[in-house]
Amino acid sequence: MHGIKRTRLTPQAAEAKKLKEQGKIEAYLALEQDVLGRKRRKEYTTEFLDQTTKLLDLNPEFYTIWNFRRNILLGLFPSLSPEEVVSHLTTDLRLTTSYLLVHPKVYWIWNHRKWCLESVPSGPGETVKWKEEFWKGELKLVEKMLDADSRNFHAWDYRRYVLSSLPTQRPLSDELKYTQSKIESNFSNFSAWHCRTKTLLAIWEKEGTGEEEIRRAKDEEFELVTQALWTDPNDQSGWLYHRWLIGSAPPLEVLQREIKNIQDLYEAEPDSKWCINALAHYTLLLSRNQTTNDEDQIRLKEEARRLYQRLEEVDGDRKERYRDMAERCL
Amino acid sequence: MASTSTSASSAIKLDIPLHIKYIQNLDKRQDLAYHLTSHLRLNGIYWGLTASHIMGQPYALDREGVIEYVLSCWDDEAGTFGPHPNHDGHILSTLSGIQIMLMQDAIDRVDVESVTKFLLDRISPDGSVSGDSWGEIDTRFTYILLSSLSLLGKLDQIPTEKREQIVQYISRCRNFDGGFGRVPGAESHSGQVWVCTAALSILGRQDLIDIPLLGAWLSERQLPNGGLNGRPEKLEDVCYSWWCLASISILGKLHWINKDKLIGFILGAQDLDDGGIADRPGDWVDVFHTLFGVAGLSLLGYPGLEDIDPVYCMPAKLIDKLGLKKPYATLPRMVSYP
Repeated sequence: MHGIKRTRLTPQAAEAKKLKEQGKIEAYLALEQDVLGRKRRKEYTTEFLDQTTKLLDLNPEFYTIWNFRRNILLGLFPSLSPEEVVSHLTTDLRLTTSYLLVHPKVYWIWNHRKWCLESVPSGPGETVKWKEEFWKGELKLVEKMLDADSRNFHAWDYRRYVLSSLPTQRPLSDELKYTQSKIESNFSNFSAWHCRTKTLLAIWEKEGTGEEEIRRAKDEEFELVTQALWTDPNDQSGWLYHRWLIGSAPPLEVLQREIKNIQDLYEAEPDSKWCINALAHYTLLLSRNQTTNDEDQIRLKEEARRLYQRLEEVDGDRKERYRDMAERCL
Repeated sequence: MASTSTSASSAIKLDIPLHIKYIQNLDKRQDLAYHLTSHLRLNGIYWGLTASHIMGQPYALDREGVIEYVLSCWDDEAGTFGPHPNHDGHILSTLSGIQIMLMQDAIDRVDVESVTKFLLDRISPDGSVSGDSWGEIDTRFTYILLSSLSLLGKLDQIPTEKREQIVQYISRCRNFDGGFGRVPGAESHSGQVWVCTAALSILGRQDLIDIPLLGAWLSERQLPNGGLNGRPEKLEDVCYSWWCLASISILGKLHWINKDKLIGFILGAQDLDDGGIADRPGDWVDVFHTLFGVAGLSLLGYPGLEDIDPVYCMPAKLIDKLGLKKPYATLPRMVSYP
């Protein structure tokens, strides 16, 4: 049980609760027994769909019942017109929408939804209008889910799934805009930053973007993330994104510019562990740059070591890690 | 603030007898919530039984009763275990069934050939692993497949080519922060980090893990109150005392966590009236958090507990006996605490 406050019940109150629940338990068990009995006997009839709905209303995590429901529908579809199939799927999508609003993190509900969408037939007629409309509706739903909880990983994963399944693909730049709006409304939304790394990589790969252009695009990203870092230097989301932008072998000027920017922030926020972490790591990267001479290399490593030693004081919970990191600078 | 909470909770100890009693009574409290969670029953028994083993009382549950129940969960059509009688077979309940039967030394009563077939059928050509024939994909299932097959001594039944595809698939789920997600493209999450690190460990492919990067990410999961979260900028939860801690133990960097603060946080989440451990202090307890709290404490060297294996989440003694022990580092068992 996640996040439900414990309350103490007196033995009398516990007994009263049990009595009150007794009727519900009996009704639930009777329904469960009926549905599972028919499932065992393979009674795949339409009238019976309502019974599975009743059971799922009470327990949308009962995946065996979702499986049973799909088997009933699969048995039914070959004898139905495409319109009737669409009508059944519409009902089930509505059902899962209502469940997801209450249980946004139940895998089995998301699974059933995917199955419904993937089962939408071509049509009407020679068109694929049904598929297009259904998939487009999904984007709206998932945006609603992410408005309600912008970190729900089920919803983010589902979003990626919907985007890759759309019969008519949207330009990837739309997704950049979406993540930007999510980030700007809350810099702390690491899920949106994460999605942005994947979207940018996908764009660069698809368009065969050259090095220079990637660098220009990254410069714009540096501006965006710098806003986040200055807004709240204690929020790690922006720092993680910054580190992604820097990568493992950044151009020298970019690295020097970013170190300078973070040093400015460090002066304003001398106890920000994230500032010091970034400075230590980037200083080490600088020491490894081909253009760095031996003397500077020693000096930079020493500087990084001092930064890690400073972190041992600022961020004591992780002092053993900083100690290991400082040793690696020698 | 943080230091106050640590010193306050350091006076508390792990109440083993109370938690054992809580686990033994789980089946007696048949309220509505109990019936609504029957799809987790076999997992629940695994959580309770493993917690009992770690707390040094492997015989806390009625052995024959447990074995009979596991066997009654068999789904003939799928050829494997469901989570409860008449429920459909699934990879999630399959692993629990195997783990329980191994801990009860009753694996000879399982149709291993059938379970192996069910498991091998789960591997898709792209190296992903499905939960059942309906086809849901998740790196959790990849781990379960590898853990189950190796526990059954059948890991070599995966053809070399497929094994390589599985490795490639896990790599595709790795992110720039060193962590892993549910599917390619998904955000890193401590639960998925554990399943992927442990899966790579079973396959002997730890070389695909960036240890300093992932170790740093995992150590940053610890919050000022000592608890661990599952992703950046999220709340702490006792279950991450397993997902994060077991991962960082496989990486050999367990000392990158503040042990005392985490022990204080887990102990503070106990229900000292009725037993069990909650997700965080003051919340309702459940057997899932009870296991992962106790398991986390065991990795941290809390006194009076048995060793747990961070790759299999089973008693280390049993994993050693099966010859499955992989490289990892735990903290030395303390004589007393604090």
